[in-house]
Amino acid sequence: MSNDVVVELEGVRKCFGPRVIFDDVSLSVHRSEVVAVIGPSGAGKSTLIRCINRLNTFERGVIRALGHEVYGTEEGKPALKRDELRELRTEIGMVFQTFNLFPHLTVMKNVMLAPQRVKGLSEAQATARALELLEMVGLSHRKDAHPRQLSGGEQQRVAICRALAMEPKVMLFDEPTSMLDPELVGDVLATIRRLALDGMTMILVTHEMMFAKEVANTVVVMADGRIAEMGPARQVLSAPKTERARSFLERVLPHTDGGGVTDVRTHPQDQGGPIAGPIDSIGGSALWSREADEEELL
Amino acid sequence: MTVVLASIWGVWAPYLPSFLRGLVITMEITGLGLAVAIVLGAILAGFKLSRFRTLRLIATVYVDIVRSIPVLVLLFLAYYGLGQLGFTLSGIASATTALGAYYAALLCEIFRGGVQGVEKGQKEAADALGLGRVSGFARVILPQAVLRVLPPSTNQLSNIIKDSSLVVTIGVADLMARSYQASASTFRPMDMFVLAGIIYMALYLVIARAIERWELNVQRRRG
Amino acid sequence: MSAIALYTGEMLDGAVITLELTAGATVVSLVAGAAGAVGRLYGPKALKTFVMAYVETIRGLPAILQLFILYFGLTQFGIDISAYWAAFVWLCLYGTGYAIEIFRAGLQGIPEGQHEATAALGLTRFEAMRRVIIPQAWVAMLPALTNFVVLELKNTTLLYFIGVQDIMFHARLGVSNSGQPLVVYGIAAGIYVVMNGTISRVGGLLEKRAAIAR
Repeated sequence: MSNDVVVELEGVRKCFGPRVIFDDVSLSVHRSEVVAVIGPSGAGKSTLIRCINRLNTFERGVIRALGHEVYGTEEGKPALKRDELRELRTEIGMVFQTFNLFPHLTVMKNVMLAPQRVKGLSEAQATARALELLEMVGLSHRKDAHPRQLSGGEQQRVAICRALAMEPKVMLFDEPTSMLDPELVGDVLATIRRLALDGMTMILVTHEMMFAKEVANTVVVMADGRIAEMGPARQVLSAPKTERARSFLERVLPHTDGGGVTDVRTHPQDQGGPIAGPIDSIGGSALWSREADEEELL
Repeated sequence: MTVVLASIWGVWAPYLPSFLRGLVITMEITGLGLAVAIVLGAILAGFKLSRFRTLRLIATVYVDIVRSIPVLVLLFLAYYGLGQLGFTLSGIASATTALGAYYAALLCEIFRGGVQGVEKGQKEAADALGLGRVSGFARVILPQAVLRVLPPSTNQLSNIIKDSSLVVTIGVADLMARSYQASASTFRPMDMFVLAGIIYMALYLVIARAIERWELNVQRRRG
Repeated sequence: MSAIALYTGEMLDGAVITLELTAGATVVSLVAGAAGAVGRLYGPKALKTFVMAYVETIRGLPAILQLFILYFGLTQFGIDISAYWAAFVWLCLYGTGYAIEIFRAGLQGIPEGQHEATAALGLTRFEAMRRVIIPQAWVAMLPALTNFVVLELKNTTLLYFIGVQDIMFHARLGVSNSGQPLVVYGIAAGIYVVMNGTISRVGGLLEKRAAIAR
């Protein structure tokens, strides 16, 4: 594992009972790299990133993350000790599709809980950090609200703050915008884009193709239980080499001209370049999330 | 092990016929109490869902008060208290009255919840089709409500079985009372109560299983 | 009439014993029930099986049979407990069985995502339970817990049979001395209605406060 590689998967296989979800998945994620995992529903994208912080077990292969080595359950290696697993998880932030904020705690307390209880920060330190993060996502005025008083987009931004408060070295995003109303997607994507600019290493499962193309360095297309194609975002999304990736992309990018998929950037607001524009004005999200919905229907 | 079993069987065998006759009385009380509870509970639920405030009030007061009186107190009121008013009830009739009155209050809430739990759209659809109030309720709402109330009602049935044992206090010779008598006459209370416990458990399991199958059947027929 | 007044006073004295036993048994049952539920959900297989069997036995047998087993049954083995302690131990054993079910249902009702979120943040299982899972389960369990206290209080009515001097014990004395069962048991019923009504009211207030606090 080279110094620069933060997360590395090698020949990972995951089964639910007799059903193989995916097999032989190998992947390296470098420091400050943003990897977008895309692919049809049910391809095991979420399961894949959940294996990285061990919310799911896996059967074969090995996952190395931040100096920790996790082997598949059938590899005959000893399982990670509970404390090491916790250490691993504190260094990896996770954002869920369904936010999973703690409903009984205020926004502030949601963000402060883990820094105080896991890292032993004082109340004052945790407060300061939480406020700073909420400020960054533009939610400091909602700090005393309870999660259910927030919109989905606001909840998801709080969830991102909650993960960031642990100062993770890697962030995992599990379809962070797929439960959101189209008009709320933009603010969440803006927050993620900001993290990318700050050099955060991120693995992102998403249906937002435009966003993937804009923010990700690498795109991984998963289909039929394999990595169908993997490479630089622009190349994979614009000119996929494999038939499987091409047919998937044709379905989710219907405005492209035929199989060539030469230019997917048809939305006017994207013409300013990949990361231009103010942080909280992001275009195209509504359009593309609608198409993500269409994918779900297929 | 076999020695222990043989010796305990020796203790149990002479009393088994008597216990089983007691079981019949237990089942009788349970069945009668349940029947009264279902009828009265349905009437009360009807009151609660009624348009008339007075009826709703009557049902609410009944349920709130009766629910917070222990069954044993109701049993004594029925057995001793009503006698004072000139209605002398037998032990079994008292038990039926007390269990019926108490569990009617619980079933009323279950039934009401079941009817109100049916989606509002169902009633609107029935109205839109021009079904009258009565047939809309009988043919659309009620069949759906029944399915919802079955599991909680089953729970109450098992509670009625257990509470029927309170008649030991008024001298009805049910399963519980017979095991109590037998424990006094043999000086082997544990053996006798364990036998009674096994029979109660068996009754409970048989009934629970039967109702479970019935529920599955109903669900399957409804798809 | 003065006999009635006299026995009403006695019944109120009995109510103190009733409340004392209810309160003590409730506290013990809730602590033991919480531990039992954790064992039932997260313990090793043998413990799970044991807790399940325990709960089924307590819930499957008539209350009075359980009381008799403890008070009369154990004498067969030379174990002789005083009525008061037999009553207290039974209320605790019975309550624990029901409390386990309440806690189990409450804990299982918390969505999986909450557990995952605590795991992803690196909280220990203990901290996750204490800070995230139990505070939420607690609110969901409040109605069941209110019913639980009422159930325990109603259970105390059986205790007169083994000689505990609770409300029912004095009521029965009052009936035999006054010959007025309807009035005396009516008064006893009234005392229970007031006590149970108060418990339900307090439970309702707690639920409301918990709902606001969320």
